[in-house]
Amino acid sequence: MKASRIRETAGRAVFAAAAVVCVAAVVAVFVFLIGKSLPAYGKLGVWEFVTGEVWSPDRLDTYDAPLSGTYGVRTMIAGTLTATAGALLVGGVLGYFTAVFLAFYCPRRLRRPLSAAVSLLAGIPSVVYGFFGIVFLLPLLSHIAPNNGSGPLATALILGLMILPTVVSLCRVSMEAVPQAYYQGSVAMGATHSETVFRIVIPAARPGITAALILGVGRALGETMAVVMVAGNAPAYPEGLFGSFRVLTANIVMEMGYAGEVQEGALVATGVVLLAFVLLVNLLFGAVSGRAVRAAVAREGRGRAAKPGHRAAKRRAEASPAGAPAGTSSAAASSAGVPSAGVPFAGALSAGASSAGIPSASASSAGMAAPASPAPRRRAGRRRAGELWQALPYRPVLPRLGHGAALTAGILTGGALLLVLGFIFAKGLPQLWQNPSLIWGKYEFGSHRITVLPAIVATLWAVALSLIIAVPVGVMAAVYLGEYAGRNSLPVRIIRTAIDILAGVPSIVYGLFGMIAFVPLLGGSGSILAGSLTVSMMLLPTVVRSTEESLRAVPDALRQGSLALGAGRLRTVLRVVLPSALPGILSAVVLSMGRVIGESAPFLYTMGSVIGPLPHGVLDGGATLAVALYQLSGEGWYMNEAYAAAVVLIVLVLGLNLLAEGCGARLERRLKGDCHAKKR
Amino acid sequence: MRKKDKSAAPAQEFGQSISVSCANLWYGELQALREVSIEIPARQVTAFIGPSGCGKSTFLKCFNRMNDLVPGCRVEGSFRIGQTDIYGGTDVNALRRHVGMVFQKPNPFPMSVYDNIAYGPRTFGVRRRTELDEIVETSLRQAAMWEELKDRLGRSALGLSGGQQQRLCIARALAVRPGVILMDEPTSALDPISTGKIEELCEALSESTTIVIVTHNMQQATRISHKTGFFLLGELVEFGDTDDVFANPKDSRTERYITGRFG
Repeated sequence: MKASRIRETAGRAVFAAAAVVCVAAVVAVFVFLIGKSLPAYGKLGVWEFVTGEVWSPDRLDTYDAPLSGTYGVRTMIAGTLTATAGALLVGGVLGYFTAVFLAFYCPRRLRRPLSAAVSLLAGIPSVVYGFFGIVFLLPLLSHIAPNNGSGPLATALILGLMILPTVVSLCRVSMEAVPQAYYQGSVAMGATHSETVFRIVIPAARPGITAALILGVGRALGETMAVVMVAGNAPAYPEGLFGSFRVLTANIVMEMGYAGEVQEGALVATGVVLLAFVLLVNLLFGAVSGRAVRAAVAREGRGRAAKPGHRAAKRRAEASPAGAPAGTSSAAASSAGVPSAGVPFAGALSAGASSAGIPSASASSAGMAAPASPAPRRRAGRRRAGELWQALPYRPVLPRLGHGAALTAGILTGGALLLVLGFIFAKGLPQLWQNPSLIWGKYEFGSHRITVLPAIVATLWAVALSLIIAVPVGVMAAVYLGEYAGRNSLPVRIIRTAIDILAGVPSIVYGLFGMIAFVPLLGGSGSILAGSLTVSMMLLPTVVRSTEESLRAVPDALRQGSLALGAGRLRTVLRVVLPSALPGILSAVVLSMGRVIGESAPFLYTMGSVIGPLPHGVLDGGATLAVALYQLSGEGWYMNEAYAAAVVLIVLVLGLNLLAEGCGARLERRLKGDCHAKKR
Repeated sequence: MRKKDKSAAPAQEFGQSISVSCANLWYGELQALREVSIEIPARQVTAFIGPSGCGKSTFLKCFNRMNDLVPGCRVEGSFRIGQTDIYGGTDVNALRRHVGMVFQKPNPFPMSVYDNIAYGPRTFGVRRRTELDEIVETSLRQAAMWEELKDRLGRSALGLSGGQQQRLCIARALAVRPGVILMDEPTSALDPISTGKIEELCEALSESTTIVIVTHNMQQATRISHKTGFFLLGELVEFGDTDDVFANPKDSRTERYITGRFG
């Protein structure tokens, strides 16, 4: 008994220590952001800094002497807002309709490949998008542009493509979470597929769609490398479709390598401005749709647990004693709903409908809204759909246009993916084929022979190291927060808020932090260890949050079952709770892996950007693949090598994803206890 | 020999009868139990009945201190199992080993059938395969499901039907040789046939184990229990032999409840 008590205490201490490390990381980043930016704000003036139109830093400026440079980021704020708006216009609209296509119009055979394509788009690192912009988009645009094609238009297209997967997958989830019964109810009254989709189902999914768009905006705001590669980066206002401009993130990445004292402060201050925007977006996300989204997510979660058929049956069972047969079952809807309340309404509209040349069958779908209104509270979404229907003039053309748009969007998205991958592979694969030394060759100092092997090795090092740091700490901290600390005690809430804020910090700000905090500590020049530490700080919030989420999804009944058998907290956590939460944790790990491979902004100045010899240990520096791609394409001398690096990068990301998926499936089976059959 | 000792015989420090005097319990400001005193005899089935929210489950969870897990829950009074004061410095895990629990909804762990049952013994240090095999078989036999499950011990427990899952949970509780088993509406989520099987099981188990069962189903109480306690608004209104309580209740509130006039 005594031994077990010691074990319990030790376990608790270890988990608490991990939580403390997390808190320390959060505090460190905050202290860094505040400590470094406050003097700058003090010297430059908050208002002057934010509204100043001229950015012309002098790296010799110090806090003690009068300034000779000018520090104003207004043009870059305008740039960031323009880029984000453009991305939303491209990626939001395209993503929305692609989601509609995937959810409602996609032929069954195309469904899997297309949704795989979308998640593939999400996995492509941002430098690859930027590279694609440089080698394909800019030359194309330069035919119609007064300059080389860079500027707001190219940025919007590339950023739009980048936020597309976020928008598509979240929109689609919320659209597909709308109960089948809504659809059936409408179709049973004679509404066409398109009418039902656009008048009933999508309005019911609106909160989720809003959330998806807001998240897309969040991603666009914080994006660095892709924008740097296509925006031009002159500190000027974005004007028209073409013309060099600079965004906030670009400002940091362009100048942090050689910044002087005040300049460095001003760059951190730029990061703070950026963070303010991101937090604003997060607040918006929470306020506008938090509740609705959580409801949708919960519904989704339940849906995964029960089979769809069961779900529908359960809903019907729930609804019928509530006295609302019209609400759910389609047959009931047509028989009970239409004759009573529906008819006068439908009649009123049928005139308009027939004058528009629509057969009365579709007009009767107008009755759809009526049976919805007596339905009880749970069907608020549907009632909203009904009100919306009544508010809109009846335009039968709209759904058809929507159908067309969805089809176009589906084709465009698929096409975009094929174009990006196809173009890069078409150019890169022959390079690799003719010149395999690009990958396997030996680095020779001073030669023009480039090989990406060191970059691959450095990348793998960074992935392994940052996961080794971030995952155990993050998971254990989440266990402490979720299983040991009081669920809603004040310190826990503070930690959680801090972690949420940390999750919003753009990656480039971490890069800045790592450069100023870790690099001097580890010998003054970039090293794999410094880069990994930086990135693992960036990963912590993701790991903690998704682990907490999956811990929360473990039913309390399991914990109680274990405790009631006399098992202690520690054994309960290790044997019952964590295994059940493993799929969620694993997906967080996979996500993190992809992020480490794809990120370049935080590595650029913490791990070094030299495409050099093979790293021999964690204190050696070296460009990761993504950084190498940025370097190679930026200089313009080594385009062929850049293509090769891009191919390797994509293959690496995809391979890891596939691997993880395979592991996930096997794990899923094992989790249920099916795999290791114990025969007696 | 030492290991055997750990696994097999029930921990000697606890007895099998339960005696409670002047139990009060608060959830924050809300008082959920008022001055409850009861003597539950060993190796019999005792049923707690009463309308929802009357405190019977809360009371039940005092016996294995599952209420400790509820934030803001405060317990007063003396709770003894045998001669041991369970709130007085007792090791809570040892207590829960001795006082097993079956929940309202079946909660098998996401593991194989075998691992589910072996979970408890493993918790208390049984590692040897032959010993575990023996415990698993005995427990499943006691729960009358050895024949159904012996060929699928390695399969996931989640694949069983609801009734099987609940009986598996009973077997899981039995695997640590408890002296007392608490059942919190164990059949409310089950179909009549599974319910019948679990009721038979209760009767059989009561030869060696004290069983305390919370139920909403008064027929169930009359069918399986020797003693019945009626709870209302946190008070134990009446407690006695089941036949007495149902045939000639002493309290008018009990009578109104069992004749279906409220609750």
